[in-house]
Amino acid sequence: MPDFGGSFGKVIVKAKLQKLIGLRAILPVATLRLLETDFSLRDSDQKIVVKGHLTQSMGGDQPTCYCTLRALRGYSKFHTRAAQILEPLIKAKIKDFGLKCLLEAQDLEVFKSKQGNSVLLLTVAMQAEPAVRSIALAMLDQAERHVRGVIADTDTEFLHQFRVNVRKLRSLISLLKKALPTTLIDTLKPKLSLIAGKTNKLRDLDVLILAHESYRTMLPANFESGLNKLYGLIEKQRKQEKNKVARYLSSKDYKATIASCAAEFSLNSVFETAMASKSIARVVKKLILKRYHKMLAMCQGISCQSPDQNIHALRIEFKKLRYLIEFFVDLLPKKRIVKIVGEIKKIQTILGDYNDYGVQIGILNGYVDDALVDMSNSLSGLIAILHQKKIEKRSKVESAIADFFTENMTNEFNLVFGIRKTKGLG
Amino acid sequence: MRVIASYSMKGGVGKTATSVNLAYWAAKSGSKTLLIDLDPQGASSYYFRVRPSTKKWAKRFFKAYENLVTHIKASDFENLDVIPAHLSFRNFDSLLAGFKKRKNRLRRVLKGFDKEYDLVILDCPPSISHLSESIFIASDVLLVPVIPTTLSERTFEQLMIFFKENDYPQNKIVPFFSMVQNQKSLHKETMRAMSARYKIFLKTTIPYSSDIEKMGIHKAPVDVFAKSKQANHAYRQLWEEVSKIE
Repeated sequence: MPDFGGSFGKVIVKAKLQKLIGLRAILPVATLRLLETDFSLRDSDQKIVVKGHLTQSMGGDQPTCYCTLRALRGYSKFHTRAAQILEPLIKAKIKDFGLKCLLEAQDLEVFKSKQGNSVLLLTVAMQAEPAVRSIALAMLDQAERHVRGVIADTDTEFLHQFRVNVRKLRSLISLLKKALPTTLIDTLKPKLSLIAGKTNKLRDLDVLILAHESYRTMLPANFESGLNKLYGLIEKQRKQEKNKVARYLSSKDYKATIASCAAEFSLNSVFETAMASKSIARVVKKLILKRYHKMLAMCQGISCQSPDQNIHALRIEFKKLRYLIEFFVDLLPKKRIVKIVGEIKKIQTILGDYNDYGVQIGILNGYVDDALVDMSNSLSGLIAILHQKKIEKRSKVESAIADFFTENMTNEFNLVFGIRKTKGLG
Repeated sequence: MRVIASYSMKGGVGKTATSVNLAYWAAKSGSKTLLIDLDPQGASSYYFRVRPSTKKWAKRFFKAYENLVTHIKASDFENLDVIPAHLSFRNFDSLLAGFKKRKNRLRRVLKGFDKEYDLVILDCPPSISHLSESIFIASDVLLVPVIPTTLSERTFEQLMIFFKENDYPQNKIVPFFSMVQNQKSLHKETMRAMSARYKIFLKTTIPYSSDIEKMGIHKAPVDVFAKSKQANHAYRQLWEEVSKIE
């Protein structure tokens, strides 16, 4: 089985797969042993009147036999008759029989994991502490699902998703720290921070590698040898860093840390704080509204003169706000939330792009080495171009902020997340 | 959708064998094909083991395409359907005589199949009649099997003259030599002379072969029971050549 969509030979398949999977690799998720036979039923003239197909699936303890009958034009009565004869032998009729149905019958992990979050049933009346604990456990589980892919270096998305889930978990306990016991926060915060920190450098290197092609097209051809030297170095560093991360994620230390995090979150709620026993829906709504107003105040101070740190701080706030909404999306009015999240995503893209230029410039700057002239020339060229792009993006940042923080948006947040006195909340 | 008619006013020249094997190869090459057996003897339907409905329906044949659709039957082969002949088709001529604009009838009725089929093959009865004229108008290619004998040469000449006199486009006529026996000098000589006179003969020739006759025993196209035989290669080649006609 080829690894990436890009390695498939046929151009059409390649393009279609690439679109579907992006940076992801294709991994085997199941092995099916199938025995397949075509058969036909004939009348007294030896004319085929019904065509059929038998599929025997050899997975599991006992083989399962699937029979498909196909009616032929002008011979439908034979098809009806054949179906009648087979009826007593049939356990169940299947609509849309195919590979998907065969795989689903195998009780595969891959189909279960898709349900992921929806298994977690949050209710409006649920108390804050148990709700946060169960979401935290789910996040931890999600992060863990990516570890094998990081160690095997299957694709860069495994590390990225691992980091996203760890980041979300950290955000969750930081945003809702008042719903959890202080000791839990104090124990887990540094542990999670350590895990995230261990993977920072590898992610930076991945980002550089993913940008290779776009950097190559930015520079004139005579800068290519310098760029190649840079990438030779980056590839080498990445290999070392990947081994380092893989060693860490396979270590007893890491496993013990994750196990202790899971154990902490699994403990029964102690309701140490006032917020712990309040309705999670109420707590979250209040929190979202509070954060929105905090961001509204923050954006008042942002102008074309403001330093990048202020933009960065606002970007982080948007990230937290979106996480908060997404964690508890089941408790919020769906239609309105979809619209709000759509608007948040839009501004996040602009703020993210702006920030990425800054980050890339910072990382590339670290590679400038006076002893390697042509590599440093290429780096200077890239930095100049990225700097220019960043300046161009800046005006978009201001207009995106103005477009987002409108009176309408404030009204919408007040309406959706404002607490109304309703029975049962609280 | 293309319409190919296997036609000759002479009987026993290999029209049905041509229709059956061509339809088979067309379907096998991926063209959604409908074979319409217009010959009341129903030989091509027989070769595909398809029986007609018991009702007489010749009267409804030219009314509308919807009438034809209900008589379509799947053959044993993918992409290939058949409208079997019915003995009542022998009355086609007197039926057509009663219609206004009879020459366009078949063309109009076949138009309905445009969406479902890439190719319609008409297996025609041996005559020159109202039905034949409808066929001349309805088809894009009139594939004419010619046995290289004096009598066949004469029949072919008559067809060419008929087309000329009645202003039918002669370029629809695509003849090929059928039931060829290369050991006969008469066959060789006739083929040479006719090819020189009419530059429109296809390169492929169909040999006289007992394998083609055996289609009746096997009730199947030649490829099914005589895969590696010369006759089978010839039909395959014939389809390849016919499919390239512009």
